[in-house]
Amino acid sequence: MAAYVIVGASLAGATAAMTLREEGADGPVTLIGAEQEAPYERPPLSKAYLRGDTPFDKALVRPLAFYADHDIRTMFGTRVIRVDPSERIVELEDHRRVPFDALLIATGGRNRQMSVPGSDLQGIYGLRTVRDADRIRKEIVPGRRVVVVGMGFIGSEVAASLRQKGLDVVAISPSKTPLFRPLGEAVGQTIADLHRSHGVRTIFEDTVVAFEGTRRVATVVTRKGLRLECDFVVVGIGLEPAVGMLADSGILLHNGVVVDEYCRTSVRGIYAAGDVANHYHPVFERQLRVEHWHNAVKQGAAAARNMLGRSVTYDEVHWFWSDQYKANLQYAGFHTTWQQLVVRGRLDSASYLACYVNDGRIDAVVGLNRAKEVRRVMPLIKARRAVDLEQLRDEHVDLRTLDVRP
Amino acid sequence: MSDMTREFVTAIQTNDIPVGGIAAVDVRGTRIAVVNIGGTYYAFDDTCTHEQCSLAEGDLAGTTVTCMCHGAEFDVRTGEVLAPPAPMPVKVYRTRVEGDALQIEV
Repeated sequence: MAAYVIVGASLAGATAAMTLREEGADGPVTLIGAEQEAPYERPPLSKAYLRGDTPFDKALVRPLAFYADHDIRTMFGTRVIRVDPSERIVELEDHRRVPFDALLIATGGRNRQMSVPGSDLQGIYGLRTVRDADRIRKEIVPGRRVVVVGMGFIGSEVAASLRQKGLDVVAISPSKTPLFRPLGEAVGQTIADLHRSHGVRTIFEDTVVAFEGTRRVATVVTRKGLRLECDFVVVGIGLEPAVGMLADSGILLHNGVVVDEYCRTSVRGIYAAGDVANHYHPVFERQLRVEHWHNAVKQGAAAARNMLGRSVTYDEVHWFWSDQYKANLQYAGFHTTWQQLVVRGRLDSASYLACYVNDGRIDAVVGLNRAKEVRRVMPLIKARRAVDLEQLRDEHVDLRTLDVRP
Repeated sequence: MSDMTREFVTAIQTNDIPVGGIAAVDVRGTRIAVVNIGGTYYAFDDTCTHEQCSLAEGDLAGTTVTCMCHGAEFDVRTGEVLAPPAPMPVKVYRTRVEGDALQIEV
């Protein structure tokens, strides 16, 4: 009987535990997480839960009783400080040791911190956990002034949610537009317009150089000399993979935990999945690390199957959504640069599809209120074949019938 | 509601739902999605249990309907969740064909 241990009671970790049981793991399954709560989904934390529209229970991956019912031993509120591959144990902060035969690392990440003067003032929040969301919720009063630092997905969604709650929102980003790095300037500009049309004041190509206040933050100072008076601040400047407990493990670390297409780390019997896993993706033929809900679900399940010896290749086309105001933004695929941006519809309208194309092939797609078309492009991305770009652009052509070059 | 108070109500004409098609209908104040799978009709709550998007605006493949907003999947025959993020099943309704009319039991 093999012992299965999962470090990280996250969406990826919980999905792996459930999958191990569903697929007939006959040994003990132990799910260890630093947070006090049972595993939960994070997307609502910047949206419906932050706005107070849905209760926390709705975000739980499974009700608490599920784990005992399925013979999954849980250790929530428990931090792992060390993984020892030669002794096949993980060590907890109280120095208890938990033996494993197969181990999954699903520890996710930690928010990148600001290091400018005044970063330790009260009233400056990050957002990763439900506790973080609860702290921000306490600050939500219509008419209060918030500065959102960073206009990635978290910053953009928080800005939207707080604006929807009637706060006075200023959002600041070092880039030319929101979501500039993942989506580029043309698409990012449409998101900037979306926020401005809802009354967010946006500041681009500027950075925060200091927070000022006596005990609490009262002013955000920018490099270009702006002084933004505020009641509180939310910082969303990215995630760092949580790999501290692996420092002396010998497991290969580089931008997270390096794994192959079977979710295997460099050490036999140890796997990684979710935000922390820098995985080899056979479709894009490179290592990549993504911080998406869908990847946590799918890779968590794939890792569990591989822990059971099934040799399942993980080759999902990555997909995510970002709801802002009433708009549904979805992205699928992977791209860093692109030769052409092929657009169906108009970028200055309420609904468009934009494909990031290299050598005639679609590497990634983003859609604003075009979910169905995003899904229809996903097989084209996976096929890695050049497509007819005129047809792609033509709104009258059903994307399922697009000509694909051999 | 007990079975005593349930009855079949005409919801739509069968020829308004082609094979493989989905339609949304309002039956006594409830928004219900109806699918035609090879001439068999299945009816279920149109509202996704995740974030209240319309399932009739989703994609149907075999007996699986996919919600377009966030990708949740349901079995149209049972309402069962096949893929997250939907936290619970959708309610399903019995259907019958009377002449050209598709009736749903509510």
